[in-house]
Amino acid sequence: MSLTPMALRSVLRTPTGLRPLLLQAPRALYHSYEHAQPPPYREAESAILSSAFTYVPTHGFTQEALTLGAKDAGYLDISTNLFPKGAFELVKYHLTTQRLGLKDRIQFPDGQMGVGRKVRSLVLERLRANADTGVINRWQEALALMSLAENIPASLRELSALSDEIWFLSGDISVDTSWYTKRASLSAIYAATEVYQTTDKSTDFKDTEQFLDRRLEELRVMGGAVGNTLEWVGFQGGALVNLLRSKGVRI
Amino acid sequence: MTSLAPRAAKRLRLSNTPRSVCTDCRRTFASSVRAQQQQQPASSQHARQDEKTTHFGFDTVAENLKASRVAAVFSSVASNYDTMNDLMSLGIHRLWKDHFVRSLNPGIRPTTSAQPQGQRILDIAGGTGDIAFRMLDHATNINRDTQTSVIVSDINPEMLGEGRKRFSTSPYQAAGRVSFMEANAEQLDQVESNSIDLYTVAFGIRNFTHKQKALEEAFRVLKPGGVFACLEFAPNLNNPVMNAVYKRWSFGAIPLIGQIVAADRDSYQYLVESIEKFPSQQEFAGMIRDAGFLLPGQRPEDEVVKAGWEDLTMGIAAIHKGVKPA
Repeated sequence: MSLTPMALRSVLRTPTGLRPLLLQAPRALYHSYEHAQPPPYREAESAILSSAFTYVPTHGFTQEALTLGAKDAGYLDISTNLFPKGAFELVKYHLTTQRLGLKDRIQFPDGQMGVGRKVRSLVLERLRANADTGVINRWQEALALMSLAENIPASLRELSALSDEIWFLSGDISVDTSWYTKRASLSAIYAATEVYQTTDKSTDFKDTEQFLDRRLEELRVMGGAVGNTLEWVGFQGGALVNLLRSKGVRI
Repeated sequence: MTSLAPRAAKRLRLSNTPRSVCTDCRRTFASSVRAQQQQQPASSQHARQDEKTTHFGFDTVAENLKASRVAAVFSSVASNYDTMNDLMSLGIHRLWKDHFVRSLNPGIRPTTSAQPQGQRILDIAGGTGDIAFRMLDHATNINRDTQTSVIVSDINPEMLGEGRKRFSTSPYQAAGRVSFMEANAEQLDQVESNSIDLYTVAFGIRNFTHKQKALEEAFRVLKPGGVFACLEFAPNLNNPVMNAVYKRWSFGAIPLIGQIVAADRDSYQYLVESIEKFPSQQEFAGMIRDAGFLLPGQRPEDEVVKAGWEDLTMGIAAIHKGVKPA
């Protein structure tokens, strides 16, 4: 890692104990145009995981697929010890690579679509990736692995990262509390739709598309209702305060 | 004998003042190891200025003496090694070892390989065969692999003798799946480079004089993609309160149990002191990385070591792993 003279000065000014923190590669929790995101896996890991992933349609998300992948990549059976979480690492590999690949799967023409429509097509595109990689028939196994207690934190982090990615790609630039509610509600909708997708037998996932449309419509109605209610409560509150003031209460 | 009494009294944490206990009776607690050490000239006990030194428990000794002193400790504990382990760890060491072997998953499943060759496992400091037995059991019973073999290596012939005795009645010995080797882990000349699938060392690396050199030697003998795995005590627990309790146990009870059961306080005093001197999980993982291994779970952008080990029982012990890049 190279340091500019300015950055070096700020490093030297900090107490010795804190310097390692500054010297670490920046890991942004937001989307940054200045910092390139580091690759999610080391060379050996991505070699093993990518070849192991080709065994998922036949062997499922299992240790066996991981072992076969390791052997294909020129490693040994025992080398799967590189992955402390075993088969869950394969699930996470799919989630991470598809999340990072989403921006290349879809391009929006400028100024043609609203944010809501973009979110809808991004969610559908991400779900289509499950089918394109051929893991949709095995995806229930993955959901089962994700729901294990020790894997829940990592799965939720990945879900929120996906939801953040989708809002970012759709061009949402809200900076108020809706930043949080948008991500929370989209996470819930995405998770529900993905569970629905695993049982969808219709051609080209038409049913999943309709399911998603119903959930988004509900969100719109719900969001509208909540907004209206809040507005009404705020209005009534203001009126009440004014009423009390007119009666001489010091508020 | 009278000149020995004050030193023995200090070791036993008894006062120097005369008591009703006769001084000769205390001798029964003293080990043969110490008796040997007492006979050595004083100059060899303490390092001279110009020599390279290392630590032996809390003592500082010349580097060339550490191996022989460790050898003396293990020669004296070999016969009741397993009983003592059970007493000191309240039986938990068995769970740790089981977990260690299960997480490594040795053996090759017939489904993943057309003609399974079996793995070559090198168990360093595995004299009594504890780990080797579990490895072979796991490979045979879980992975249905009857080819995998273990080389049990130890620097100490007495410890190896215990292992030979245990394996002599097992089917593994008859099938030729276990062999024994007396070697120093820092200089494994008998083992070819790139020939081992899995290198394990359980509760042994703490006693090595040059740990980094042993790690580099492990890197040399492992095949590309081979795994280095180490089960070892950690100097401090994660929780400071539990750490204080644990230190009470290890410095108070363990030498006492050694004194009562094995009639050998000094060896077990060394044991707890050597745990205290061992590097922390993060430092040791850094040493594994410096030897060239990939640490499992480490993120590509992290420059400081953040992963590569698994704490057992609140961090009393830890499993360290490293994979040799292909």
